[in-house]
Order: sequence, then C-alpha cells, then structure tokens
Amino acid sequence: MPVDAEREITRLHGALRGAQGVIKTTFYEWRQTALELAGPNTEPLDIILKFWEIAGKDVAKSFLPALNMLKGEDAFVMNLARALAGTGIANGAVVKLEKGESPDEIFIKWERCPWPTFAKRYGASMQEDLLGCDKFLQTILDEVNLFFNTDLKLETQKAIPRGNGVCLRRLYKEDKK
Amino acid sequence: MGKEFNWDYTSYPGYKKHPHLFKPIQLGKLTIPNRIKYAATEDNLNDKDGFVTDADVAYIRQRAKGVVGGICTMQGVYMDEKRQGQGYVGQAAAWDDKYIPGLKRLADVIHEEGAVACCQLMHCGRVGAIETEYCQGPSVVPQRLRIFRPVQEMSKEDIKQCTKEHVEATRRLIEAGFDIVEISAIVGYLISNFLSSYTNRRTDEYGGDVRGRARIMVEIIKEVKKVCGDVPLGIRLCAEELLDDVRGNTPEESMITYELAEEAGVDYISVTAGWQESILPVISRDIPQGSWLYLAKRAKEHVRVPVSMAYRLFKPELPNKAIGDGDLDIWEMCRPMIADPLMPKKVLEGREEDVRPCVACNLCLARLFRDAPMTCYINPVCAHEWDPKYQIQPAEMKKNVMIAGAGPAGLECAYVAAQRGHEVHVYDKKEELGGAIIEASRAPYGDDELYGVIEFHKAQCEKAGVKFHLGTEVTADLIEEEMPDTVVLATGPNYIKGEAPSFDRANVVSVLDVLDGTAEVGDKVLIWGNRKPGIGVGLFLAKQGKKVTIVGSERGLGKDINPSFRWRYSAYLRENKITVYNDCEIEEITDDGVTTVTYDGFRFPIKADTVVCTERRANESLQDAIREEGIELFVVGDALVPRNLSSAVHDGYRIGIRI
Repeated sequence: MPVDAEREITRLHGALRGAQGVIKTTFYEWRQTALELAGPNTEPLDIILKFWEIAGKDVAKSFLPALNMLKGEDAFVMNLARALAGTGIANGAVVKLEKGESPDEIFIKWERCPWPTFAKRYGASMQEDLLGCDKFLQTILDEVNLFFNTDLKLETQKAIPRGNGVCLRRLYKEDKK
Repeated sequence: MGKEFNWDYTSYPGYKKHPHLFKPIQLGKLTIPNRIKYAATEDNLNDKDGFVTDADVAYIRQRAKGVVGGICTMQGVYMDEKRQGQGYVGQAAAWDDKYIPGLKRLADVIHEEGAVACCQLMHCGRVGAIETEYCQGPSVVPQRLRIFRPVQEMSKEDIKQCTKEHVEATRRLIEAGFDIVEISAIVGYLISNFLSSYTNRRTDEYGGDVRGRARIMVEIIKEVKKVCGDVPLGIRLCAEELLDDVRGNTPEESMITYELAEEAGVDYISVTAGWQESILPVISRDIPQGSWLYLAKRAKEHVRVPVSMAYRLFKPELPNKAIGDGDLDIWEMCRPMIADPLMPKKVLEGREEDVRPCVACNLCLARLFRDAPMTCYINPVCAHEWDPKYQIQPAEMKKNVMIAGAGPAGLECAYVAAQRGHEVHVYDKKEELGGAIIEASRAPYGDDELYGVIEFHKAQCEKAGVKFHLGTEVTADLIEEEMPDTVVLATGPNYIKGEAPSFDRANVVSVLDVLDGTAEVGDKVLIWGNRKPGIGVGLFLAKQGKKVTIVGSERGLGKDINPSFRWRYSAYLRENKITVYNDCEIEEITDDGVTTVTYDGFRFPIKADTVVCTERRANESLQDAIREEGIELFVVGDALVPRNLSSAVHDGYRIGIRI
C-alpha cells in the first residue's frame, strides 16, 4: 500500500501538538500540586523559579556534550544560541536567530510562544511566566559558562508577556557590550 | 632495601625475538629484571568497605605470574575515610591500618610469583565519591557526563588533608610490603583536575598558571617521597588531555607537569592520553596500535627518569622497537593482560600463538562504570580465577564430542573439551575456520582485529588435538553414522528476512553475502537490523561510497554493543552520513525502496535499490534428531540466542568445562 504522505504528516503533526500541549498542562498541574502541598504562605514565584532552575540544570547537561570550542568561539556562541532556541521550538514556539553586529552577538527571537497562553489558562501571572523562562535560560547559560569557562551573557530585551509581541534575547560576550 | 629480583631470560625464545623487553632497568635504587609492567587496573572485586578479597588476590596472582619478574601493580587505593576519593564500588582502601593485612596479601602473592609489587594511590576527584553526595575538585566545574556527583571546591585545609592521606597511605603500602608506590594523576582523577586548565579555575596558589595548578602534585610527591625511603615513587601523568574542546591543557603545559614531577622527585613517569570526559577516542579498537607512542617519545625528550606507557600497545613488536629506539623504557599493559594474564610470559616462552588477544572493546571499563565486577569480553575466566569451577579440569569420563560449527563458540568449546581429555571433532560446512567472524572482521574501524580470536582458537585446537572436518555439514545422517557421546551445536544463527512477503524480492540480500562480496549491491542501500551486524555492514558499504540507511526494530541502536564502545559506532555512523531509524518495521519492499512503519504506526518511504538483511534468530535445526538418538546435547553461541562474539566465547568455554 503506497504511503499517503498528507495523511501521515497530519497524524504526526497531531501527535506532536498533543505532546507539546501535555507538557504544559502537566507543568501547571504540578505547579498546582506543589502550591497546595506547600501551603497558603508559599509564594508561587519561588516554586516556579526553583522548578526552572532544576530544569535548566538538567537541560544544560544535555548541552555539554553537544558544544565544543574546537570550532572557534563564534561557532560556539551560534551553536549555543541554536540550542537555546531549540528548547523553545521543541515546545511549539517559533524561534529565529539573527546575528548581531559582532560575531559573538546573537539575537534570539521568539516570534510565537505557547507558554503565555497556558499561563493565562491556569491563572498564572505574566510576570511569573516571563521570570520562569528567564530563569530557565539563565541557568542553562550559567552551567555552560561554568563548564567551558566562558563569560557569555543573556539579556531579555522584549517579552511577549510584557505585551511586546515577541520575546527578544541578546546572547553576547560581556566585553562586546 | 636489599630486595633482589633475579631472573635469567637468555635461554628463552622470546628473549631472542624481543630482546629489549627482557633487559633490566633501574627505578631509583631498585633493579627491575625486565621492561614489563601490569598497569594499575580497577577490577571492582574487593568488598564494599575496601577490604581485599580472595577474588582480587587470585586475579592479581595470575597477572603477577604473567609479568615474569616485571612489575605487577594492584589497583589504585582510595585514602580517605569519607570515601570522596573512591571511584569504584570494589576499590581497595588504604585509609586505616586495618587495611594493611589485606594489602599485604596482594604484595605477598606478587612476590611469590617473583614479580615486583607496585601499588597506586588514587583519589578519583571529580569522577569519585560514588558512595557520597559530593565529589572533590579544585573548582566547581560540572562534569560532562551525568553519572558523576556534583563537585565541591576543596579548601586549603582539604588539600593539606589530602596530602597527608597520600603520605599515610604510602606508609601503609610500604608496611604491607610493596616495592614501588605510584601516584595516579590521570583521566580526570583529583591531581589531574588540579593540573588542568579545564577544571582548575582557582585564583589562590593552587591555581593560576600550570606551575600553580601543579602545586598540589609537587607537594604530594615531595611529602610521599619522604616516607618512601628507598622505595621508588612513580606517577601516572597525562601527556595530552585531549580536552581542547573545553580549553584543557596544551601539550606544552602537560610536558611542564612532567618536568615538575621529575624535579619533585619521582623515579619514573607512566605516560597516558585523554580523560574520561574527552570527546576523542583513545584506546578503542578503531585507534591503530602504536598510535600514542609519539607521546612517550615526547616525554623522553623532557625528562630523564624512565618512561612507561600502555595505550594500544598490544603486540610485543611495538614496545620492543620503541624501547630499542630509545622512545620508551617500560611496556605497560592493562587490557591485554585482562584478556590474557599470562601474555608476557607466553611472549617470553615463544608461545605468542597462545595469547588470547584483547579486542579493545572496553567492556571491562563499561562494567566498572556500572558498579559491576570486572569481566572480559574475550576471557571467560577473568575475575573467576579464584573459583575452581571455572577452571579447566580433567574430564571424569572421556567422551567422543561432535561440535557442529567452527565459529568462536564451537572452537572455544572444542579446545577446552579437548584439553580436558575428550576426543573432539569439529565440523563446518565452510572450508575455513571462523564462522561469522570471517565476515564480521571485514567491517571497518579496526574490526579486522576480531579475527585474532579465531587465530588463537586455531592454535589452541591444534595443540589440543582437535580434529577438523571442514567442508562437511553436520546432518542427522552424519550424527546417526558417527553416534558421538555429545553433540555441541555451534552452527550460528539463522539469518532471517522480515515478515513482509516482499522480502522475497531479488534486491534483498544477506549480510554475509555482502561482506564476502558475492551479493550485488546498488548505490542506495537499506540495512534491515540495527544491531552490530547491521552497523558493521552499513559502515562497510558507506566506505564504498554508498548511501546507507539503517532500519531496525530494536528501540535503540547497537543494543548488543557495550556502551563504552557504542559511542564510537554512533560517531562513525554520523561521519559516514548513515541515517538510522530505530523501533521501526519494514512493511513493504519495492523496486525503488521500502515502506517503513514506526512502532506507533506512522508510515514513511525510504529510497533504496538494495535491502540487506542482518536480523538473526536462534537456530533450532538438528536438536530433535539429536535428542531422539539419546545423545547429550548442548547449544552454544548465536545458535542458542544471537548475541555477539563475547557471548559465543563465554558460552563455548562454559560448555567446554562441563562436558
């Protein structure tokens, strides 16, 4: 029986979107679980930041074997930017990279991201959503810097949760600031 | 000290063939009769509290016998009560006097075999602390691999304590009777962590430039040397870290550490390459033998003390020439003497054909990293030296044994059974020995070394009086005619096609026919099967410029390959642009490709003009006929369950000692 490409891609696409949705609903269900167990005096942001720190450390471990300095610093920064963008793309975001003025300056732009939508659905604040994402990416970067003895920085210049339409983050070496 | 190790090798054939290996050498005030050293090797055979066991004593005795008067090193000992230096569950300890009796047992058995007893001090640093929450290091730098504990930065007090522990442990080793003490400073263990610019980010006197980073090493050498007296002190030091990707030391910096170690007082240096965290291969089969000798030569240009080295020096010709050329002083071995503990002894006696060859698979390492006792891929007795049930004993009743199949399982079984006194006949429908290893050894990246096992088997079978009947297939009629007491089926597996009816097409060929060159193969090839046979033939074809895709039903690639080698194949598959689809079935084969189905039902086409089948099943033929005759029956190797060369050899040995 010949392969019906449209049918196969539709089925795969559906399964992927379903899986991406489950990741976010599960996150917010666990968030709710943690808040209920922690009691009324717990600040949700503390829990959320801790979660993203743990997640960032774990994801960073998978970055370490994939990155290396042998291809030069510029390639290293670009590959790191690609990997950071990949964490969003895997979750259903549209993320683009743009080179900055210098070779070790990359702008990472989230043109679409599903996380704020889920935050709204589950009653979490936009501030919490943004700070969580920042914590996740910053933790990854800290681990990468520690491992490779680099001093790369990441700054959030625009954010969808702030109503900027896109999230724009600048990855750069400090001395080029 | 007055210890003398007198050996006269001049009458042995190995002395005439490899004269440089059997010349004496001076380490400090100690004369070593030859240039052979069994290097420190963890074996995970000691108990969980660091006490030496009977298994380890028996293991070391065999290696001591093997070095024929040379140096036999026991595994590195950890030296701290907190066990942060411990890197292996079965690692011996030396942090208290209570360990001296056990250590003495090891020194004694080494001496009983006429060898020189060496013990290593080993704090495992960032790859240690397997029983505790944090490991120690100069700086908090995360490890690349997940299996290790988080690193805690050592304070200056910790460093002083560590130096003291080295000194105390040395005192115990000397009291136990060891003739040489060696410090481990390699592969990611503590001292190497301090030496490396990758892991040492300190700004105090123990960090900074290479001299600052080497301060702890220099202090330890000087302090240990004070208690050594006339006992020579050596160090294992990395000549190239192979950590350029994470800004590790340059080769020039590594040579400075050599010079500093010599200045501090070591009597010899053991040269090594790479770390456990290096992304480059160092000792696997894909690295040609002798590749690292240039490091020993470089070391000799920087230091005056003797230089030893292991690392892919499996054949005696290589170290013999290097020593003769002045590029090396001592031939070290780990894995070749795991595979055959008596290897140098056999070289000396002119019995090189009796050496069971290491195939550089790194199963031994894979086991250690998973808290399992040492095992050798190719040596079934390894780590069972203590167990009489594992040894070859004369048979109580002599039998006429028919072995069907002259692959590694059949041949291993054959010579063992023959050595026990049985009359053994080996049949094979092929005209040559080796079974599937003949084809498997044609795969690239060092797989030709696999055939060395068959050469070993051939020599053993001939010496044991095994009778070969090549070109003769075992049939029910032949069994009825010969009526042996025992039949061992070592026929190899059945190579099978997929369940889809289109597997009968003409463009579907067998892996064996591809590797022996009898099958016609197009430019776009789909390999059916994601185990080692599929990977091997895939690389074989990719090397001919063909576009290769591997599709297999196993969840992961190369499940039959040990993890310490699998990463090499993964790298070569990427390098040769081979696409792999795991957890898939083939639904249909057409003239120009196949339809593949994922485990959860997604279908997609892959273009291919040839499909190579590598999947195997157990071979159950002849079993009923043999049972009906009331003949004792054993099934070994891939005929029992398709696995790998190691399983074939181990099966063959275990049945060989049982018949």
